[in-house]
Amino acid sequence: MDNIALKASGINKYFHDPVTMQVLRDINMEVHKGEFVSIIGKSGCGKSTLLYVLSTMDTDYEGTLTINGTNTTGLSLNQLAHLRNESIGFVFQFHYLLPDFTCLKNVMIPALRLGKYSYAEVEQRAYEKLKMFGVEDQALKKAGKLSGGQQQRVAIARALINDPAIIMGDEPTGNLDSKNTGIVFDLFRQLTVEYKQTLITVTHDEDFARRSDRIIEMADGQIRR
Amino acid sequence: MKFNVNTEIALTYLTSRKKQTLVAAAGVMFGISMFIFMQSLMKGTNDYFEKMSFTNTPHIRLFSENKVADNHMLRTFLNDASEKILINPKQLQQSQGLTNPYGIVAQLRRNKEISGITPQVTGNVIYTSGSVELPGNIAGVDIEEENLMFDVQGNMVAGSLHDLNRVQNSILIGKGIADKLSLHVGDNITVRAGNGNLVIMRVVGIFATTVRSVDDTKSYANIARVQSIIGKDRSYVTEIKINLKDYNRANIVAREIETITGYKAEDWIKANEQLKAGFKVRAVILNSVIGVILLVAGFGIYNILNMTIYEKIKEIAILKAQGFSGRAVTSIFLQQAVFIGILGGIVGLTLGFSLTYMVSRIYIGAGSLKYLPMSFYIPHYLEALMFGILTTIAAGYFPARKASKVDPVTIIRG
Repeated sequence: MDNIALKASGINKYFHDPVTMQVLRDINMEVHKGEFVSIIGKSGCGKSTLLYVLSTMDTDYEGTLTINGTNTTGLSLNQLAHLRNESIGFVFQFHYLLPDFTCLKNVMIPALRLGKYSYAEVEQRAYEKLKMFGVEDQALKKAGKLSGGQQQRVAIARALINDPAIIMGDEPTGNLDSKNTGIVFDLFRQLTVEYKQTLITVTHDEDFARRSDRIIEMADGQIRR
Repeated sequence: MKFNVNTEIALTYLTSRKKQTLVAAAGVMFGISMFIFMQSLMKGTNDYFEKMSFTNTPHIRLFSENKVADNHMLRTFLNDASEKILINPKQLQQSQGLTNPYGIVAQLRRNKEISGITPQVTGNVIYTSGSVELPGNIAGVDIEEENLMFDVQGNMVAGSLHDLNRVQNSILIGKGIADKLSLHVGDNITVRAGNGNLVIMRVVGIFATTVRSVDDTKSYANIARVQSIIGKDRSYVTEIKINLKDYNRANIVAREIETITGYKAEDWIKANEQLKAGFKVRAVILNSVIGVILLVAGFGIYNILNMTIYEKIKEIAILKAQGFSGRAVTSIFLQQAVFIGILGGIVGLTLGFSLTYMVSRIYIGAGSLKYLPMSFYIPHYLEALMFGILTTIAAGYFPARKASKVDPVTIIRG
């Protein structure tokens, strides 16, 4: 049990608009600490929906979800926000950086929110993360001024700033060329091996999925294998 | 730059949209400066009119009033305790004077709230010069005390009021009387009292209060002289005029004096009800104008924050995904409103002060009013700032709450 980062049992979810339709059917899954899991499946199979349920952002589901031994089902929105801040990092297909802030600030904001380290320490750590992704020379530029690949790397640095136990990606490499995809994949791999961080990504990229530890394939709202 | 992260985000949003921020702050600024300007003008004019009314009327007037006959009087008169039924009671003619006026004055002088007190005899007279007759009233006063309380000296246009004590049989007349009877300082005037007494007096001074009904009828003479003109003895006093240190307590002190002396004590508020009514009407008009200005400023802020939230909805979603609670998001947007309020407020205070100062330099020159009366009253500035910031918080609250309710999943998934 100690080794389990995330456990979902009996997850069912319905969309009600325009007609009630079941999108997730009795999902049971476990992800171990340090595991690199890819979720694949055709468009509309519910893989993104599942990821958002696992991320605690979507609370409209049936079943139970346990993250790092904490039962998150039924927690208040503010408690969930704190949990996400501390234990979950997100990488989306689109970077969603705050364009008015510098890259450094973008990376720092979640850590400042958490308030675990002093301002100077947070700044120091943010620089290190940017360095990991080779974008430290862009640190003081406004996020809106960077190229797409650089923005995505800053976004990944931001996801890692609080050393989250779990990193979730919704097509994290969807907008990247093969070279950048390679860089990002290697970094993800490094995180799981060296820092025992857990990675759950939804991807369309067969090659990316094949190189991860485990593939969860979904179809029609169920886990195929 | 080590602020709380919410504050830091709020500030960045404000500075990255400088024009919008300034427009919103300008709205608050105009609201606050108009608030200060209007309040200063209102208080200034009100104070001026109050002061004007005190140049003629005291804070409290103590006089003897005729009473309607009642059972109590009848019982005292008949000296028995039986119940009487009084039909068609009438006003009783009492002596118009006060009994033992100097005793009352001596007693009231001990009251610490009273700053000035002087007895007065008033009589209706007819002024005559040549063949022209003019009705009016003569006030018998101690001119030095009267001067201390009502600044008679400030109204003098010719002669000297101190001559009233130096020159025998002397009189100070209003400018209206002097003009109509063509009198100058040093001329003689015939004064005829109601009882037929006729006296010739010497004009030693002419005053102008700018209140026409006073200037056309009023004259001052020594109190003893007036007592003899109207044929009364030295203890005859028609009223006692009282000034207080704090005229706002006039009604309270008047009640006390009434209880002690048993005479009617009329405070200036009662004597000047139309003045007070004017103040109230003006207050309603000005406050509605100020309210509308602040409301418009509030809508400006509401609009701008609402637009910001629509623009930033994706960023709000991502902040929430990263662990910003609804409360933190509310705080970010509410702080923006507060910053706009403070910025507009500080500039508004300065502008309001300058505006007030400039207007107070406008020459009017009507009557005794030289410049527009403006007051510089610090509580107005504090009130303005408080109202300004409250308006911005109220205007910012609804958009901020909307932002806090953004559902990150629907926004991020599109």
